[in-house]
Amino acid sequence: MTAPSGAGAATRVRRVVWEAVVARPSVTARLMAWSVVEAAPAFLIGLAIARAVDDGFAAGRVDVGAAWLGALACVWVVAAIGARQVVLAVAALVEPFRDRLLERVAGTVLRDAAAAGRGPGASAVARATLQVELARDALAAVITVVRSFAFTLVSVLLGLAVLDPRMLMLVVPPFLAGLVLFLLSLPALARRQRAYLLADERTASTTGTIAGGLRDIVACGAEDRVAADARAHIDAQEAAGRGLARVTAVRTLALSLGAWVPVVLILAAAPWLTGHGATAAMIIGALAYLTQSLVPAFNGFVEGLGVSAVRLAVSLTRLLESGPTAHDARPADAPAAPEAAAVTVRGVRFAYGEFAAPVIDGLDLDVPSGDHLAVVGPSGIGKSTLAALIAGVLVPDAGEVLVGGVPAARADAATRVLIPQEAYVFRGTVRENLEYLGGGTDAAILAAADAVGASALVERLGGLDAAVDGSVLSAGERQLVALVRAYLAPADLVVLDEATCHLDPAAEARAEAAFAARGGTLVVIAHRVSSALRARRVLLMDGTDVRLGTHADLVATAPLYADLVGHWNPLARGHERVR
Amino acid sequence: MRAADRLVARTVRHGGPWSAVLAAGVVGGAVVQLLLPYALGRALDVLVAGAAGASFWLTACAVLVAGVIVCETLGVWAGGASGARASARLRRGIVRHVLDAGPGLTRRFGDGDLVARAGMNAEEVGRAPDAIVTAAALLIPTVGGLVALALIDPWLPLALAAGLVLILLVLRGFLRETTQFAGDYQRVQGDIASRLTDALAGIRTIAAARTVPLEARRVLAPLPELRLHGMSLWRANARAGVRAGLVVPLLELVVLGVGGWRLAAGEMSVGELYAAARYVVLGAGLSAALGQVGQIARARSAAGRVSELLAVPAPRAGTRALPPGSGTLEFRDVAAPGLSGVSCTIPGGSVTAVVGRSGSGKSLLAALAGRLVDPERGTVLLDGVPLHTLDRADLRRAVGYAFERPVLIGRTLTDAVALGVPHGAGDGAAVREAARLACVDGFVRRLPDGYATVLEDAPMSGGERQRLGLARAVAQGERLLVLDDATSSLDTVTEQQVGKALTTDLRGRTRLITAHRLTTAARADLVLWLDDGRLRAAAPHADLWRDPDYRAVFRAEEAS
Repeated sequence: MTAPSGAGAATRVRRVVWEAVVARPSVTARLMAWSVVEAAPAFLIGLAIARAVDDGFAAGRVDVGAAWLGALACVWVVAAIGARQVVLAVAALVEPFRDRLLERVAGTVLRDAAAAGRGPGASAVARATLQVELARDALAAVITVVRSFAFTLVSVLLGLAVLDPRMLMLVVPPFLAGLVLFLLSLPALARRQRAYLLADERTASTTGTIAGGLRDIVACGAEDRVAADARAHIDAQEAAGRGLARVTAVRTLALSLGAWVPVVLILAAAPWLTGHGATAAMIIGALAYLTQSLVPAFNGFVEGLGVSAVRLAVSLTRLLESGPTAHDARPADAPAAPEAAAVTVRGVRFAYGEFAAPVIDGLDLDVPSGDHLAVVGPSGIGKSTLAALIAGVLVPDAGEVLVGGVPAARADAATRVLIPQEAYVFRGTVRENLEYLGGGTDAAILAAADAVGASALVERLGGLDAAVDGSVLSAGERQLVALVRAYLAPADLVVLDEATCHLDPAAEARAEAAFAARGGTLVVIAHRVSSALRARRVLLMDGTDVRLGTHADLVATAPLYADLVGHWNPLARGHERVR
Repeated sequence: MRAADRLVARTVRHGGPWSAVLAAGVVGGAVVQLLLPYALGRALDVLVAGAAGASFWLTACAVLVAGVIVCETLGVWAGGASGARASARLRRGIVRHVLDAGPGLTRRFGDGDLVARAGMNAEEVGRAPDAIVTAAALLIPTVGGLVALALIDPWLPLALAAGLVLILLVLRGFLRETTQFAGDYQRVQGDIASRLTDALAGIRTIAAARTVPLEARRVLAPLPELRLHGMSLWRANARAGVRAGLVVPLLELVVLGVGGWRLAAGEMSVGELYAAARYVVLGAGLSAALGQVGQIARARSAAGRVSELLAVPAPRAGTRALPPGSGTLEFRDVAAPGLSGVSCTIPGGSVTAVVGRSGSGKSLLAALAGRLVDPERGTVLLDGVPLHTLDRADLRRAVGYAFERPVLIGRTLTDAVALGVPHGAGDGAAVREAARLACVDGFVRRLPDGYATVLEDAPMSGGERQRLGLARAVAQGERLLVLDDATSSLDTVTEQQVGKALTTDLRGRTRLITAHRLTTAARADLVLWLDDGRLRAAAPHADLWRDPDYRAVFRAEEAS
C-alpha cells in the first residue's frame, strides 16, 4: 500500500464525505433540528443558575430558586431526548455511507481481480473491511463533534449575551485566540497523526511478516537482516510517536489557553462587573457556561478534528485509491454469437506487461468443431494463458483468437466455459452451484453429476437442495462441483484448465471421458500427461517449440514428449533408472 | 501473572525520564484541578464583597490556572513520548527474541497467535504507562471531590455516590446489550468478508463466465441484515448515552438545590455553592477512572501473553567454523518428539531421498538436518562438526532449505531469492543462475518487471512459488540442500525438469529430499525409509523395491 497523498486523493476524500453528509437532506435537517434541542442546556445553564440564586435563594425565595433549577432539569431531560435523536440521525447518515463503501470495495476488488485473473488474499479483504469500519466510526465521530461544537458555541455566546453582554468581551477574544492557535496547529497535527498511523501499520505488517515467515527467515539465516529492517520500522514509529506527542502538546496548550484564560479574566473583572450591576450569581453563571458547556465541546472538537478526521482521511484514501482507475481489458462491443465452436488462433502474441518477455509468441492453432485437444508442457510455459485467450478472458497483444469466426473476447459468454484449477464453490444450495452456468431439470442435473462421477458427492451433501460451503469441501470435491457445472452449461466449447488436478487418476479419466462424450469442442490443459493419451490431438508447448499432432505422431517426433509419456508410467520404467 | 506484572513495570521504567515528567505532570495537574474550585469560590466571594485578600486569591487562581495549563500540556507530551519509547523498546525486544527463538515458537503458538502476541498485545502493553498514570490522575480529583463535598456538606457525597452507582448500572447493562449486538454485527460482517474471499478464490471462473455484477450482489446480500444490527447498536448506544449523560447534570442540580437552600439560610456563600457544583462534576469522573482500570487490566493480560512468548528459550548458536568438506551429514542416535533413535550417514554430494507415509517423521528429519530444531537426544553432524557448536552464519551458508509452502520475503523477486545470501554476495547473475536451476527463470522473465517485479505484484501459482523457494535454497546452501516436499505442487512435466536439474546440475552438494513421488526415490542414490518415527532402512531404491511394505508406501501416497 502506498502512502495516501496528493491533492487528487484529498479532493476525492472530501467529495465522498460531503456526499455522505448531504446525501439525505431530510436526515440532515432532522439532525440540525435535534441539535438545537440538544444544545438548549448550553444556552440556559448559566442563566438559570444566576436567576435561581439572585431571584430565588439569595432573595430568600427558595421556591423561585427551585423553580429555576426545575426548569433547567426539564430542559436537560428534553435535551437528552434530543441527544438520542441526534445519535440516530448520525447513524442514518453513516450506515448508508458504510453500505456504499462496502459496495464500492466489493465491486472494485472483484472487477480488478477479474481483470487481473487473480485476487488479493484473505488478509487484504480483512484489511479492506477493517478500513470500512474505521471510516464509518470516524465519520460518525467527526459529524458528532463538529456539529456539537458549533451548536454549543452559538448557545453559549447567546446565553452570555442575555446574561450580561459585557462578559462577551472577556470571553470571546481569548477563546478565539485559542481556537485560531488550534486551527493553525491542525495541518501539522493531521500530518503527524497520519505519519503515525502509517508507521504503525508498517510496523504491524513487518511483525506479521516475521511471525508468518519465521521458519523461512531462520532457514535462510536472515535473522539479522530482517531484524534490522524491523528495527528501522520500529524506530520510525517511535519517532513518529514523539512527533505526534509534541504537536498534541501544542494542541493541548491552545485548548487550555482558550478555555481557562476567560475564566481568569472574568474573575479579575469581577469588581468592575459587580460595580456595573452584575451579581456574584451572574459570574457563577458565566463560569458555568465556560466550564460546563464550552470546554467539553471544545475538547471534543479538538479531539474529533485532530484524531477522527485524520483517521477518516487515511481510511478513505486507502479505500478510494484502488478506485475507478481499473480499466476493462475487454472491448465494449456487443457480444456476438459464434457460428460453431471451432477455435482459430492466428499469430498470437501475449505478454503480462509492456517490458515482460512474451508468454506466447506467434502461435497458430486450429481446433475444429468437435475436436478433443490436450495441451501439454512445463508449468509457466503459457498453457493457462492460452486457455484464458481461447475463453476470451484475456485479449492478445497481437494476432487474433476466433471462436466460430468471432473474436473470443466478444463471443457470447454462454457459448464457452472455462473451468480453472481452483474450482469456485460459493455458499448456497448444491443446485445453485451446479446451475451457475445454465440450469436443467433435476433429472438432467443428476445425470450430469453421474456422468462426471459426482453422484456420490451430491448424495453425501444431502441432495440438490442441501446447503454447501466451499470451505468444508476438499479441493477434489470442489473440482467435481465445477465439472458438473461445466457439463450442464449450454456451451459448445469447454476449456478445462487443469480442472481435474485434485482428482485421483481414475476419477480424472472418468470426468474427461464424460466431456469427450458430451459433444462440442473440448480443450484440456493437462496436469498429468495421461490426459494426452485420451485426447484426439495433443499440443506440446515447450518454450519456442510448439508441436501439434496425435499421440503417436508426437511419440515418434518429439523426444520431450516421448520422455514424458515414459515418465508418466514410472512403475514400469522407474526401476531401470536408478543405476 | 507475576511475570506479566514485571513486564508492565519494566515497560513503565523504560519510558525513561519522560515517565517521571508524565507522573509529575499528571499528579500535579490533578492536585491543581482539585484546588481550583475552592480558590475560585473564595476569590469570587472576596472580590464581590470587596473584602481584603482579593489580590491574593486572584493571584492564587491565576497561578492554579497556569498550573492546570502547564501540567496538562506536559502530561500529554510526556505521555505520548514515554509511550512511544516504551512500546518501541518492547517491540524491538520481542522481534529479536522471536527471531532468536526461531520456528520452535510457531510450533507452540501458531502463526496467527504469534502475530497477535507480537503485534497487538505488545501494543497494549506499551499503553500501560499511560493507562496507569491516567487512572491515577482521574482517581485523585474523584476522591478529592468526594472529600471536598463532604467538607461542604455530609449529604452531598451520598447523593453523588448514588448517582455513580446509577451510571455504573447503566454502563453494565449497555455492555451486556452491545456485546450481543456487536456479536451479531461482526458475524454478518464476517459473512460478507467470507463471501468476498470465496468469490476471489474463484475469480477465474467468474471472469470467464462474466458474472462480476452477479457476484457483487451475492457478496453484498447480507447488507440489509448488517444495517439492521448496526442500527440496533446505535440505538443501544443512544439509550445508554442518554441515561448516563443525564445523571451528572441532574446530580449537579440536586447539589445546587441543596446548596441554594443553605444559601437562603445564610449558611453558605455563593462562592461555596460554585465550588460544590464543580466538585460534583469532578467526583463524577469516577466512571472514567473505572474505564481506565479496565485498560490496565487489558494491559496486564496482554503482558501475560507477551511474557509467555518471551519465556520460550532461544537456542544458542556455537562458535566453531565449518572445516572444508564435501557435505557429509551424520545422524547419531537422534531422537525428537516424533522420531527416535535415528542413526545414519549421508555421503557428501549424494542425492538422498527420505520416504515414508504421512506422519512418519520426514519433515522432522529434514528440520533436524539443518538445525531448524534441536534434537532431544543425539547429535547431528555436518562434515564432522555437531550442528549446535557451529557458528550461525557458517551453518546457514552451508545449508539451504526449500519447503512445500515457502514464504517469500523481500520487496522484489531478486530480494526474495537472495534472502539466504549474505549482503553483497548475491548479485543479479547468481540469483538468475539459481532461478534457472530451479526452472523458474522463464516464469520470472515473463513478469512485467522481470526480476525487479515487486513480490506483491507477481501473480504466482503454488508451483511457481515452490520453484522460487527452491531457487532461494539453491542460491544459499553451499554444501547441503534440504528439500522438504519442495516439488509437490509441480505438474508432471515441470517436476521432471526440476528433478533432472537437481540430480545432474547440482553435483557437488549433498541433497536431502523428502518426497511422495516414486520417481524421486528412484532417482536418488540412497533412500532413507522412515516408518512410524523410526529409520526402517537406508539403502538404494532398487534394493528396497523388493520389499512389498516399501512398495506399499508409494501406493498409499498415490491414493491419498
